[in-house]
Amino acid sequence: MHEMSIATALLEQVQALLPEAATLTEVRIDIGSLEHLDSELMRFAWAALVESEPAVKGSALTITRIATRIRCKTCGHAYEPEDAYTMLCPQCGAAHPEVLAGSGIVLKGLTVEQPTQA
Amino acid sequence: MEINVVENVLKLNDEIAQLNRSMLRDAGTACLNLMGSPGSGKTLLLEKTLSALRDEMRIGVITGDLTTTRDATRLAAHCEHVSQINTGKGCHLDANQVRQGMATMPLDELDLLIIENVGNLICPIGFDLGQTVKVGLFSVPEGDDKPAKHPYVVLEAGVLLLNKMDLLPYVPFDMDLFLADIRAIREDVPIMKISAASGDGLDGWFNWVKRLVGSEVGELLET
Ligand SMILES: Nc1nc2c(ncn2[C@@H]2O[C@H](COP(=O)(O)OP(=O)(O)O)[C@@H](O)[C@H]2O)c(=O)[nH]1
Ligand SMILES: [Mg+2]
Ligand SMILES: [Zn+2]
Ligand SMILES: [Zn+2]
Repeated sequence: MHEMSIATALLEQVQALLPEAATLTEVRIDIGSLEHLDSELMRFAWAALVESEPAVKGSALTITRIATRIRCKTCGHAYEPEDAYTMLCPQCGAAHPEVLAGSGIVLKGLTVEQPTQA
Repeated sequence: MEINVVENVLKLNDEIAQLNRSMLRDAGTACLNLMGSPGSGKTLLLEKTLSALRDEMRIGVITGDLTTTRDATRLAAHCEHVSQINTGKGCHLDANQVRQGMATMPLDELDLLIIENVGNLICPIGFDLGQTVKVGLFSVPEGDDKPAKHPYVVLEAGVLLLNKMDLLPYVPFDMDLFLADIRAIREDVPIMKISAASGDGLDGWFNWVKRLVGSEVGELLET
């Protein structure tokens, strides 16, 4: 639902990191699988946003989905739940999860083109 | 050329949320971030909470909606410090909006700040506001499957409320399923069944709020 506001925050962040005079060809982000964000809508929002900005226009958004990883606070076992709606520990049966991975949205990298030196 | 970065995309929001958190800590003010679907009863619950606790603690409220000041008007009947934030098209409150709301309040004089988030069980979860604790509000007519469909709020909330218990005789709602679904995600989260309309179950909620406010705020702060 809030893909547009995430994409807007991402664009601001990318623009701050972009070297002077460089153009952006690709942005790579990780999205935790617990986040309610749709990859297709993210790419759509990104494409719409960068359209009017010459330095980033046409750049691709590459998304890696990060699997949810849980540590059971009862027995310490680490596991990847099959679905977010059941966190039951395969070792002891408790639903006492500490989220190790699977939340958050992280900018991982950019690919840029520098203007060729005259 | 490749540039590698590892930076949270909501970095700016998270930084402002941490500022809010330290301002609240310095003021000794606990802060609730109340999240629930549109119409789940957030505002009515807050009206009841404000009027029940007004002699025991000083409370401020920041309420977010896409548009109108209707909730602020309802809440202002029970509370002196109410700030309405209109998010326009924004489907959640962000830390900066809360910061602006906080700036209108005498934080030092408040024991508790309650944030009524925009009606939505999806978007608000990912945005840290600087709260002490998140509260997830479900209601009976929304159906028994909402926790399973919104596991993130179940994972993150310090307490879950099920409102509109007075409607249980009139709508299909499998209570065992509702509870089992929550317990498959978090076995330890407190669940309170309430009716903001009739007042049933609200004493347990008021006591929970009093315990939050009475505890050392720093201890309970989310990091
Ligand atoms: N029957 C019943 N209605 C309720 C209850 N709590 C809230 N409502 C009604 O539900 C509607 C939405 O409530 P409101 O507080 O505006 O919800 P919000 O959108 O979450 O802030 C209003 O008509 C309330 O009077 C309840 O416990 N039982
Ligand atoms: Mg409301
Ligand atoms: Zn949204
Ligand atoms: Zn276990």
